[in-house]
Amino acid sequence: MAQYRTQVRIIADVLSTARDMNTEGNGVGVTTLLRKGNMSYTRMTKLLSELVGSGLLLELNGEKISKYMISPKGVQFLLAYGSFEDFATSFGLRL
Amino acid sequence: MAISGDIALIRDVLQFIGVFVSFSIAYVSFRGVRQTESSALLRLATAFFFLGFGFLAEGVVGLSQIAPVLPISATTIVVGGLLLETTGYFFLAFSHVVDVMLSKKMGAALLVLPVISFSTGQLSDVLSILSFYFVLYGVVETVYSYARTRKPDTLLIAVGLSLIGMGTFIQWLSLLYLQVDVLSLLEVILQEMGLLILFTPVLRFALGGVRLDGPV
Repeated sequence: MAQYRTQVRIIADVLSTARDMNTEGNGVGVTTLLRKGNMSYTRMTKLLSELVGSGLLLELNGEKISKYMISPKGVQFLLAYGSFEDFATSFGLRL
Repeated sequence: MAISGDIALIRDVLQFIGVFVSFSIAYVSFRGVRQTESSALLRLATAFFFLGFGFLAEGVVGLSQIAPVLPISATTIVVGGLLLETTGYFFLAFSHVVDVMLSKKMGAALLVLPVISFSTGQLSDVLSILSFYFVLYGVVETVYSYARTRKPDTLLIAVGLSLIGMGTFIQWLSLLYLQVDVLSLLEVILQEMGLLILFTPVLRFALGGVRLDGPV
């Protein structure tokens, strides 16, 4: 059965996609993020602008499309998220 | 008959271990709330915040009976402490209820309140049995969560909660059978053992050394 994802879980999913799929070092496109993030285009673009605004993602403006790369603050967030997720799971809860 | 002096002293000192562990868990959870804005951690922080103050109230009352310093009635503070503890256990159970609802999984569906006769029982008896019920629900959901994640820490927490549950049950028994000194001590020993087990994730977290300057 499908599970609801909390907002913080969605953010962590998007950030880890931006980190893991950026193999060539020139960022990840919205299509890849959409495919991995499992959400609508409208919701994803809104979330991306929020993440760029808060400094968790870096926006790389290309000629036609924008690409996204995880920022050092984003990496730090994922590390903290992992630790707190571990902590919450120990108590049988989901972050 | 009152609890003999030595047992009472040991019991009251042990309460402060509970205070330390509860506030440590609340602190780590609250840091998690600030950094990830997770509502699950907020409920966990609230639960252990209440538990910490509950244990503190009981410990302070116990020690002040040895060296009387408090102008307030000890019974009032003890009942207040029990109320805080029950509220803490309620938030722990409530966290699991919300988690079950969010994950759309089949919960243990234990949240049918037990039938309690207020006319025959004193308030402290009612609070103790409610605490036992909330902890029991927490144990069932934690074991259920372990079955899903197979994470050893989750099983450890289930064991810790079980000990706390046994402690709250014995607390209820000790309120019914006041003449049995050992029950009161056994209750606190079980609770403190359970709480020390609950301290494991805090230790792991502290050893992991997560550093963040502020909310992200």
